[in-house]
Amino acid sequence: MSEKLVEVHDLFKWFPVQKSFLETLLARKLDYIRAVDGIDFEVRRGEVFGLAGESGSGKTTTGRLILRLIEPTRGGIFFDGRNVLTVNGEEMRRLRQRMQLIFQDPYASLNPRMKIGTAIGHGLEIHGIAKGQRERDLVIQMMERVGLTPAATLYEKYPHQLSGGQRQRAVIARALILHPDLIVADEPIAMADVSVRALILHLMMELKEEFDLTYLFITHDLATAKYICDRIAIMYLGKIVESGPLREVYSHPQHPYTEALLSAVPVPNPRARREHIIPKGEIPSPINPPSGCRFHPRCPYAMEICSKDEPRFAGTKDGHLVACHLRR
Amino acid sequence: MAEILLRAEDLEVYYATRAGVVKAVDRVRFEMGRGETLGLVGESGCGKSTLGFSILRLVPPPGKIVGGDIIFAGENLLEKDEEEMRKIRGSRISMIFQDPMTCLDPLERIGDHIVETITTHDQGIKRAEAWKRAEEMLDRLGIDPSRLEDYPHQLSGGMRQRVMIALALILNSELVIADEPTTSLDVIVEAQILDLLKQLKEDYELTLMLITHNMGIVAELADRVAVMYAAKMVEVAEALPLYEKPMHPYTQGLLRSIPNISLTEQVLATMPGSPPDLIRPPSGCRFHPRCPYVKDECKEIEPPMREVEREHLVACHLY
Repeated sequence: MSEKLVEVHDLFKWFPVQKSFLETLLARKLDYIRAVDGIDFEVRRGEVFGLAGESGSGKTTTGRLILRLIEPTRGGIFFDGRNVLTVNGEEMRRLRQRMQLIFQDPYASLNPRMKIGTAIGHGLEIHGIAKGQRERDLVIQMMERVGLTPAATLYEKYPHQLSGGQRQRAVIARALILHPDLIVADEPIAMADVSVRALILHLMMELKEEFDLTYLFITHDLATAKYICDRIAIMYLGKIVESGPLREVYSHPQHPYTEALLSAVPVPNPRARREHIIPKGEIPSPINPPSGCRFHPRCPYAMEICSKDEPRFAGTKDGHLVACHLRR
Repeated sequence: MAEILLRAEDLEVYYATRAGVVKAVDRVRFEMGRGETLGLVGESGCGKSTLGFSILRLVPPPGKIVGGDIIFAGENLLEKDEEEMRKIRGSRISMIFQDPMTCLDPLERIGDHIVETITTHDQGIKRAEAWKRAEEMLDRLGIDPSRLEDYPHQLSGGMRQRVMIALALILNSELVIADEPTTSLDVIVEAQILDLLKQLKEDYELTLMLITHNMGIVAELADRVAVMYAAKMVEVAEALPLYEKPMHPYTQGLLRSIPNISLTEQVLATMPGSPPDLIRPPSGCRFHPRCPYVKDECKEIEPPMREVEREHLVACHLY
């Protein structure tokens, strides 16, 4: 058993930009959206690793790559020491059982024509673990565990008959029923009612202890990440700009982008109204990202070198890594 | 409070659906002083957006205002005919929506849209003059005036929202209703827009109704806060007392359960249950099934809104 459950090396995912036939004939080369553009990180067994960034930063693509729902352009992904990209179909199926995904929108990820109980137990059938009465028993047990009660009644319901919070619990139950090692949770509470979010976070943390889970927690919400993540990586335009223990990163952000993101989060306290350190402009297109450091056109501290050389992603201390010329 | 600009009395807005009548706004009353920013907070489905739309009498069908009064600058908007309402919309009361892309015509240049807004309400103005006013407004909002030539899809999300703000301000509206103005934006652009609104509040002495589910955004901007739960107003107070001494158990629970990035140690409290179905809301106080302090009377008698402390109104049997 490896201490590192997931290792990602120099991972790239470029999506070709769709063009018309005529444009393809005339164009010299294809344009690519560089969704993930060379990232390295590891997720340690038993931790909650946060992958945070704004929309278009590449965080969701990274999650999908790890589960091999899409193939990378190049790079390495290791799960429990095994190269996910080179294993054969049969072994991949076994690995998949150990890595599960929770999507942002539980309504979209549940089949509207499938009963909740059937949906939760589906994985047991697919992986040949249980069927019939045994499957039903396992499902009811799991439903009770995640608070979907009365389980026997809710088992027979369809997704539209459940509340938003219940649907999110169903999705969690479906992910857990295979007893995975890793759960990739992509904005798991973004769609839930505000008053229900804390409850789902608590549930996720309880289940983590009980089932020895490791989470890759993908989020745009740095305030939520604070409550759940042990370590965090901040993404910007397909790159990780900073990563490290959450407390370290939040109390001593090293990258100007991290600093800006943290100061932009609205604080629910009228006394805390503060002067934001807000960079101008918005995220540029990932098709032709800026040269050098991708953040340089918006960075308040940009120097000459920033537009020329890409900063190395390197450590400051205690596993706190940053890609910024200011820190050299 | 300064001069009252807007006052709603026992406002009722219902949606007749196949499953039954949804009472989206149920006997709500509140007032807004000229120049103040009122944060209207609540979860999705609590009726806050419907309340915003009803002020402009633009509740989408099958929604209908079935009772109450909306007094704006001394006149009852519910007694106006459609022609009079059209003159009020956009010129005296305007609205900023969550998703600017659905409010801007994809086939119309930004400049034409703004100019059309000006000329519709002021037939005497020359087109060139209106265009110049649009340029000035864009410049004021931090967009290069040459972007007036652009179509909506050529603008970024943040710029589109700035154009929406330009449309709301161009006729010097007395009241601006902003419905989740930053919800579709990323956090940095959201902060840019909030800073802009803060600045405009002072420059234009805006009266702003800020509708949002985000207690953080309200804390940034609002002078007073009104909290809605299940179609009812449950608490209204000035911002500081509301955040520091919330009185309604729902407000208390909500504030304790939302992540706060600035606190070093905070245990997130949880609230049991979920918001109710508005076709069959709970009897008595609608929050009673989730309330930690529930008493017998809460299940039967609906608590009236009372001024428990100066300018601090709460609808709860605890007080």
